[in-house]
Amino acid sequence: MKLSPRISFTVLFLLTSVMPAMGGQATQTLSSSVDQVITLLADPAYKKATTHSEMRSKVVNTIKAIFDTTELSRRALGAQWKTFSPEQQKRFIAAFGDLLQNTYLDKIESYTDEKVQYLSEQDLGGTRVEIATKVVGKGKEIPITYRLVDHNGWKVYDVVIEGVSMVQNYRSQFGQILMHESPDALIAKISAKKS
Amino acid sequence: MSMTTTRNFVLSLVLLTGALLLFNGGSSFAGTKSPATATANGQAIGTTAPAEPVEVEAEAMPARVPDPLYGWNKFWFTFNDVFYSRLMRPLAKGYKVVVPKKARTGLSNAYDNFTFPIRFVNCLLQLNFAKASKELGRFIINSTFGVGGLMDLAKSDPNLQPGNEDFGQTLGHYGMPEGFYIVWPFLGPSTLRDSFGMAGDAAANPLTWIFGPWSVHDDYNPWYWSYVIKGADVFNRLPETLEGYDAITKPAIEPYTAMKDAYIQYRRHAVEK
Repeated sequence: MKLSPRISFTVLFLLTSVMPAMGGQATQTLSSSVDQVITLLADPAYKKATTHSEMRSKVVNTIKAIFDTTELSRRALGAQWKTFSPEQQKRFIAAFGDLLQNTYLDKIESYTDEKVQYLSEQDLGGTRVEIATKVVGKGKEIPITYRLVDHNGWKVYDVVIEGVSMVQNYRSQFGQILMHESPDALIAKISAKKS
Repeated sequence: MSMTTTRNFVLSLVLLTGALLLFNGGSSFAGTKSPATATANGQAIGTTAPAEPVEVEAEAMPARVPDPLYGWNKFWFTFNDVFYSRLMRPLAKGYKVVVPKKARTGLSNAYDNFTFPIRFVNCLLQLNFAKASKELGRFIINSTFGVGGLMDLAKSDPNLQPGNEDFGQTLGHYGMPEGFYIVWPFLGPSTLRDSFGMAGDAAANPLTWIFGPWSVHDDYNPWYWSYVIKGADVFNRLPETLEGYDAITKPAIEPYTAMKDAYIQYRRHAVEK
């Protein structure tokens, strides 16, 4: 009799502590990565010429950890993914990952003291969620929506701004290119772009 | 002068009739899919790879907007790119330096406040009375306390955030499909539906009525004034417009397709909102 209330209390405690954590886990994962990037960018060592490249690679590593480049690449090719050989797929992931990194790193580096608000987390079904955020600062507000998938940890597979999905945008571009050119030509185009 | 006016009026009537016809025969446009999508879908259905999660196929491309005017569109896309991104960019940069942000924001606020009828009428047409009353509230507050719309005071109220309904969205709300993609010189990307939208917005724009060909013209009220004001508004917003343009085209491998896709996605989202 002394045991059962303790067990039920423990069960109740576990339920109440696990349930909200499960609901907000993706947001927590995303926010910790984003906060990490912001902290690194705000660090004065980032601006200093001697430590800049080291800090930059730290930011790159954090971004790499939160973005699922393989999933992004697969979705950016859509149905064409299967027409690529495994070797081509690997090269595509590397090239596309570099392109995204360079593009968004340049954009992120212009942000200094912005605050990120996490507005909502919506379940998309099948281990996918959509997190609405708002970047507030310097008199402007930019709503950014992230879509995350849980393949051994939450990772971003799409970024949507004002209804424009990055993955879909690239998918239409790559689809257009692949109508007339080979996968190798596409990979070459992507690699040439980042320079 | 009166001959061209009548002709323009008849032309806009013809366009509107065409629009009504499209409502009924609209399904034919929606049904048109470019060959690329057909093959892509064919591949998706034909190949069954059990290792691949279903998600990627389930997120197949939404209905493609056909591009039968590709030649025209590509030409004007390149033209607009050269005009805005190369020629006007240094001017916009200089403008940004010379005119402080507060002044530029003031001008765009004033213009937005002035074009209140466009948004208000379209909220009503969509039978969205909540949105319509928000527009009205914004207009009243900003016109009075905001000194003729120069200051957007209503924005401080979370319930009175700016809206942007237009006639193209109204048409989309009532199920008119996009039609096809078209790039207009200077005006930029659009679709058949949104082009009718632009015509409708011009009809609701007070500038058209104040400075249009049907009002009295003298030395103080030339016929081209509405175009000058509209052009000034475009120039005033150019720094921000170019930022958005760069965000789409700079990271793009295929800028033309990137622009087309971003525009279509953006408009579809706007219609839904």
